[in-house]
Parts: sequence; C-alpha cells; structure tokens
Amino acid sequence: METAHKRPNYILIWIYLAVLTAAELGLAFELPITANLKLALLLFLAVWKALLVGLYFMHLKFEKWNLRMLAIIPIPLALILLFAGMSEHIW
Amino acid sequence: MSQAMAGAMQPPFPAERGIEVYNKKLGMWIFLASEVMFFAALIGSYVILRFGATGAWAKPGIVLSIQITAFNTFLLICSSVSMVKAYAAIQDGYQDKMKFWLLMTILGGACFVGIQVYEYIHLVEHGFLPSGVREGSHLAELVENGTLPAATMGLYGSTFFTMTGFHGFHVTCGVISMLYLYLFKALPGKYSPQDFGGIEVVGLYWHFVDLVWIILFTIVYLV
Amino acid sequence: MTTVAATAQAAHAHHDDRSFIQKYIFSTDHKIIGIQFLFLSLFFLMVGGLLAMQIRWQLAYPGKPMPLGNLLPETMAPGGVLLPEYYLQLVTMHGTFMVFFAIMLLLVGVYANFLIPLKIGAHDMAFPRINMASFWSAFASGIVMLMSLFVPEGSSRAGWTMYVPLSARHDYSGAEFGQEMWSISIILFGLSSILGSLNYITTVINNRAAGMTWFRMPLSVWALFITAILGLLAVPVLAGAAIMLLFEQILGTHFFDPAYGGQPILWQHLFWFFGHPEVYILILPAMGMVSELIANGSRKPIFGYHSMVFAIAGIAFLGWIVWGHHMFVSGMNPTLGSTFMVSTLLIAVPSAIKVFNWMGTMWRGNLRFHVPMLHGVAFVAMFTIGGLSGIFMAATPVDMFIHDTYFIVAHLHYVLFGGSLFAIFGGIVFWYPKMFGRMMNETWGKIHFWLTFIFYNGTFFPMHIIGMAGHMRRLYDPTIYDFLKPMQPMNEFISICAFLLYGSQIIFFVNFWWSMFKGKKASQNPWNDNGLEWTTPSPAPHGNWDTLPTVYRGPYEFSAPGASEDYLPQNRKLPTDRDPVLSPAAGH
Repeated sequence: METAHKRPNYILIWIYLAVLTAAELGLAFELPITANLKLALLLFLAVWKALLVGLYFMHLKFEKWNLRMLAIIPIPLALILLFAGMSEHIW
Repeated sequence: MSQAMAGAMQPPFPAERGIEVYNKKLGMWIFLASEVMFFAALIGSYVILRFGATGAWAKPGIVLSIQITAFNTFLLICSSVSMVKAYAAIQDGYQDKMKFWLLMTILGGACFVGIQVYEYIHLVEHGFLPSGVREGSHLAELVENGTLPAATMGLYGSTFFTMTGFHGFHVTCGVISMLYLYLFKALPGKYSPQDFGGIEVVGLYWHFVDLVWIILFTIVYLV
Repeated sequence: MTTVAATAQAAHAHHDDRSFIQKYIFSTDHKIIGIQFLFLSLFFLMVGGLLAMQIRWQLAYPGKPMPLGNLLPETMAPGGVLLPEYYLQLVTMHGTFMVFFAIMLLLVGVYANFLIPLKIGAHDMAFPRINMASFWSAFASGIVMLMSLFVPEGSSRAGWTMYVPLSARHDYSGAEFGQEMWSISIILFGLSSILGSLNYITTVINNRAAGMTWFRMPLSVWALFITAILGLLAVPVLAGAAIMLLFEQILGTHFFDPAYGGQPILWQHLFWFFGHPEVYILILPAMGMVSELIANGSRKPIFGYHSMVFAIAGIAFLGWIVWGHHMFVSGMNPTLGSTFMVSTLLIAVPSAIKVFNWMGTMWRGNLRFHVPMLHGVAFVAMFTIGGLSGIFMAATPVDMFIHDTYFIVAHLHYVLFGGSLFAIFGGIVFWYPKMFGRMMNETWGKIHFWLTFIFYNGTFFPMHIIGMAGHMRRLYDPTIYDFLKPMQPMNEFISICAFLLYGSQIIFFVNFWWSMFKGKKASQNPWNDNGLEWTTPSPAPHGNWDTLPTVYRGPYEFSAPGASEDYLPQNRKLPTDRDPVLSPAAGH
C-alpha cells in the first residue's frame, strides 16, 4: 500500500516537464559554452525530468522503501557496465 | 490480492505479509527492472561507442529533425500526464473521466509511433540506414562536402536505429496493451475504485517508456 | 461452514473439468510446467552429450572415420571424417545446448517451478499463465537452436561465447542463417528466462504461507530466489547483445566493426557482464538443492543456516563485478583487469564458507548414503576441486598461460558437471516421488552414481594436466603440434572415459522412464524430510493443498532433542509453538 499522501498536482508536474524540455531545446542551439558544460547541463536536465516522472507519475516518492530499492537496484549495475566499457578508452 | 484458489479453504492465519504491494504491481516493477538492464545494454553501448570513437560525431540536427522530435517528446509527456489522470480518475471513481483520459493516452501513444514511422521513412529516403549512409543519397553528399563526418556515420546509424527502434517497439506494445484494456475492461465498466490494478500497472509501464524516451531524446538528438 | 464446503466442492469439480490439453499440454500448473521443462531439458542434455561424443572422437582419433559417421551429411563429415568447420559447430553447440537448454532449464525451469510454491506453501505461482508462456518460449527457442544444426551451411561455429568478428561476419565463419538462428533462439530464450524470473521473485516475496518468514525458507528457495534476481538483471543484457549481433548480420550495423569505429571488445564486455552472473545462475540453485540433500542424508540441521543465506547473497552480489576475468587476454585496459583479479579472488570466500558448512552439517551426523546423499556429497567434493582450479585462473599472470587451454575446460566441467549436474541427478531422484508418485530404483541409482563418478573423473581430471601442458581449446587436430603429441594418449584415455560416461547415462534414463510406470509407489514423505512439499500426497495434486499449511519452524529440524522422530516438519504444531502473528516486528 502506498503511504497516505496528498495527491501530487499532475498538471504542475506537466508544466515543469514542459519547461525543462524547452530549456533542453534552448541549450541545443549554439551557445557560448564549452561542449562539456553543455553535455553536463543536458544530462542534468534529462535526469531531473526522469526523476519527476519516476517519483510523481510512477508514485515512487510515496511507496515503501523496499519497492524503491527494487526500482533503483538496476541503476548501479548499468553504471558499472558503462564505466567498464568506457574505461577501455580513457588510457 | 489473495493467492488462494477460487473456493479453496483458507488457513486459520493470514499469509506472510510480503512486500505489501499486490502481485501484478510487484510483477510490473520487477519486469521494469529487467527493462532497465535491457536499455542499459543498448544505450550503454551507444555511449561506449561514441565515447570511444576516434573521429568526430555528427552535429545534432543535421541528420535528425530536432523540431519534429521535440514535438513528439512533448506528445509522449502529455500522454504520460493523461495516463496518470486516468489513474487518478478511477481512484476517485469517475468511470467516464478514466475512459476519456485512457483514450487520450492511447491516441497520444499512437501518434508518437506514427510520427516515428514518418521520421524513419524520411531518414531512409535521405539515405540514413542502420549501416550508415547510403551511397548516392542526399546525406552522402553532406559526407562528401564535410558537413557530416565519414568515420562515425556507420556507428551513428547503427546505434540510432537500434535504440529508437526498440523504444518504438516498446511504445507500440504499450499502445496495444492499453487498447486491449480499454476495449475489454474499461469500456465494459470492469474497473472500480476497489479494483483498478490493470490501469495502475499499464500506467507504470507507460511512464517507464516515457522515462526512457526522456533519456534517449537528450543523448541521441540533442548531444 | 456448509457454504464454504460447498464452494470448495464446486471448486474441485471445476478443477477436474480441465481437458487433457489443459491439464498436461497447455497447463498453468507449476508442477506440470516443471515436468515439461524436465522432459525438454533432459532431451537437450542428451543432445549436448551426443555432440560431446563427436568432439571426443575427433580429439582421440583425429582424421579417422567416426562410427556411424557415415550417417552425417557430406557437409559435416564426408566419409565419416569430421570436417574442421563441423568440429567448431560441435564445440559451439555443445556449449550452447548444455549451458542454456540443459543446465539452466534443469535448475531453474524445473526446480524453481516445481519447488517454490510447494516449499513456501502456495497453491501455485503468482502468474500461472506467464509461467506457461515461459515454458513455450523456451520450447520454441530450443527448436530454433536445434534446427540451426540442419541448415545447409550449418550452425554457428564461433564458440558458445560468440566472439566477434567470427560470429558477426559470415564471410569469416561460413555460417549465415545458422548463426542468425542462434541469435534468434537466444532472444526467445531470454524472454522465457525473464518471464520465469519475474514469476519466481514475485511468488517468493508475496505468496509465502503463514509463518514462512524469510529466515524459515529452505536454502533451495533462497538460492532459486537470488538466482532469479541474477537472471532478471543479467539476461536482458545478453538479449540486447544478441539483438546487436543479429542486426550486425542482417541490417549491416557496425557495432563491432573496427573499420567503422566499432569495438570488438564491446561484445566481450556485454557478453561476460551477462556471462558471469550466468555461471552463478548455473551453480546457486544446485548449491541450494545440495543443502536439502545433505541435511536430509545427515539427519542434522544445516550448519550455519544464516551464513549460508548470506554466502548465497554474497556470491550473487560479487558476481556482478568479476566478469573481466574471462577477458584477461583480450587486450582490455590492464588496470581494469587488476580490479577484476581482486574481486574474483574475493568471491572464493563465500563459496568456501558454504563448503565448510556442508562439511559441518555432515560432521557427526547420522549419515544415510541414499542416492540423493551420494550425489550431494559428490557435489561438495567436485565443486571444491573446480573452485580450487578457479583460483589459478583468478590470478591474472597465471591466466595468461592457461586461458583457452584445457585447464579452463577442466575447471568449467568440474563445476558444471561435478557440481551442477550431480546436484541435478540427486535432485531428480529426491523429488521424483513428489513429481510422479513413485520411487526410482535405488540399486540402479547407486550403480549409475558410481559409474558416472568414476568415468566423469577419468574424463575431466586429466584435462587439468594437458591444459597445463598447453593443450588449447576448440582445437580440431592436436597432432599438428609437436609439443602436443605426447598428450595424445591422454586424449585417447579421456575420450574412452567420456564414451563410457555417456553410456552410463543409459542406466539413468532407463531407471527414470521405467520407474515412472513400474517404480515402487511412493508414500507422502519417503525421505522423512521436513519441507512443506512432503506434507501433500505423492504426486502432489493440482493446487497442492486444500488448506494452505501454517509454518512453525525452520526447515532443518532433524534429530531435534525431545522430538519423537529424527525429523520435524515445518508445519507440525507442537504444544510449545506460538501461532504466527502479523505484528510489525514479525520475524522479517
């Protein structure tokens, strides 16, 4: 059972998502920032949007800790695979 | 949801508490965990290949249309909102609102797939293939005049079509599932505020598909 | 009370309305599905063994016509002499069939399905229809893989590990359609595996009977549960990689093609990221089953139950960060390589804990060497040998020399055959009465065990020696190398033992099929065991119990002081037992 909670304002989340998407699009244009900074900002915005969907639409914010653990477990594994593969090209 | 067979006698004590999330929902979260690993393999490969590529990667927007895809992203996000509104509606007992929002979600998802298919046809016509750039095509000219880097176009095509293709496949499966629920469960009024697990579970799947797209849109189209 | 009884009656009548097809072909009953997996996987075990017999013929008598070799088509063995291309198909398909269709299906498809609901006190799995889908997709996958041997150019021949570019380029390997079928089969198999995993995990978390707390679950259930988590998270990566390989072949993608910036080592990382958790999938359920067999045969509780659980979890956890030890000679980043060496050496620790605990269980036990116990003890001894050879490989500098030699082949067969397969044989005999209502013949069971044990060691132990001497794997003709010529008598010895080993399995198969119809009828609890599955008739009926049992203790209360017998089932209530209470602190 979800913990008792006030229902989130889904329309407000939708507005946040739309604003973040617009911000990402803005970044895609030629801005006077380095490519690395642009990449970092884009990733940050994407992760923020993903968290909004996961926490509010998928209700993870209101679920018990053990369900949240279940949802989170694959992420470190995926990152391990990613970094191992990338390490082939670091040095 | 009880695990007892219909009509079988119950033991004198309730079963172990478990995770206190009903089976269908727990099963869907577990399935989504496996889907994370599946997309991690495909997306991770893209990142590893692009990170390790010796040549430059094509600049965003030249091969792919950012404008159309931005609209498509917005569309998918809207369909996620309509999905969660359908869920909220049946939670409160509003059958008609639930049916309306579910239908909106199905239409949004179907439009997303339609636009993706249109984009694919457009790309193939211009010469973009999973194997790279087709000889003699419009994109081949861009490679010739240096607008596009010859060395990495093969990887670009391979990774683009595989990742977005499988995402599109997942969206299609979602649309079909929702259509099935709409026609055979929602319309005949089989959902109620006490029993709307199907909506919640298909909703989780749909939000997940949206979440993957949020990541994909950024790292494939914008970076 | 009458209405409950009436509905119960109606429910039974409803259940017996099922047609033959619903009961036995398209069944959703976990026990029937488990038995379907058993027949399917035993078939593929025989197929894999038959492929191995041909490999052994070629290695012992290279270039000589094989008996019955004239039955094979010209593309495989003209005049009965195996072609090199066919030999490589044999090693590839032997590995593929044995890993996926024999051992994985036997351990997970059979025992996760059959045992989990029975041992936790549930009527069936959480999702019975998904369970059925899991079987039929495994079936389809197996058919595709089998058919790939019979397409004109033959099957894949890149080794079960499918390294690119040999697997990706049919101008290198000569196999086009057969190779594509491998990828398609694996994708179907992945689907089956993932559907199964999600069923097992959900069922164990949510469908346990009253009183069956986490730390009262039998070790076989713990092992199958943790194995299901490994499979859930590792198999999708294989599916992704197989899809990329398939696209490389049919769509002309360039993921692994260096001419276009692709990376061959990417395949290895993807494959082994799956591949290492996979080998723990292939051993953990066997370890779980062995705990049941040894506790039962020793008439003693498992020594260190909690540490056994944590060891299983520890092996599973560490198993995610050791995959690079399969790639020490691949040319990967050497610093990455050394981190893998450390993690691989560490993983020996929980495995050793388990071995010591099995020994502790047997110590001063009232030992009964029934057939399952023989197999359980053999597991511990053979797995230890296999584990010890693993330490050699974990050390990167040593692995430089022994990688891709027969030392590795010895290691993997010691853990997979000496380990997993012995546990499987023991498990089949042990749970046979619950599956089929009859006992397998004890005498022939012992004969089969000893012959298998002797010929198995004769086959695989010498492989350590020839491997150390430099005998390579997947080698068509060892006699072309002068330094290998002195090994040839040993190759012959290994092959003769292998032929006798395969022949000995006839005893098992005859015993298996004959006992099904003519075996001694089994009582409800023929092994005097404590698990919940022994509280229902043999064979177990549809739905397992009318009323689900209530659990009062752990599963290993053998020789409990003060008990009237030397076993004490989990559901028997003693005057001193408290009823299960669902309080917030209830034993989770």
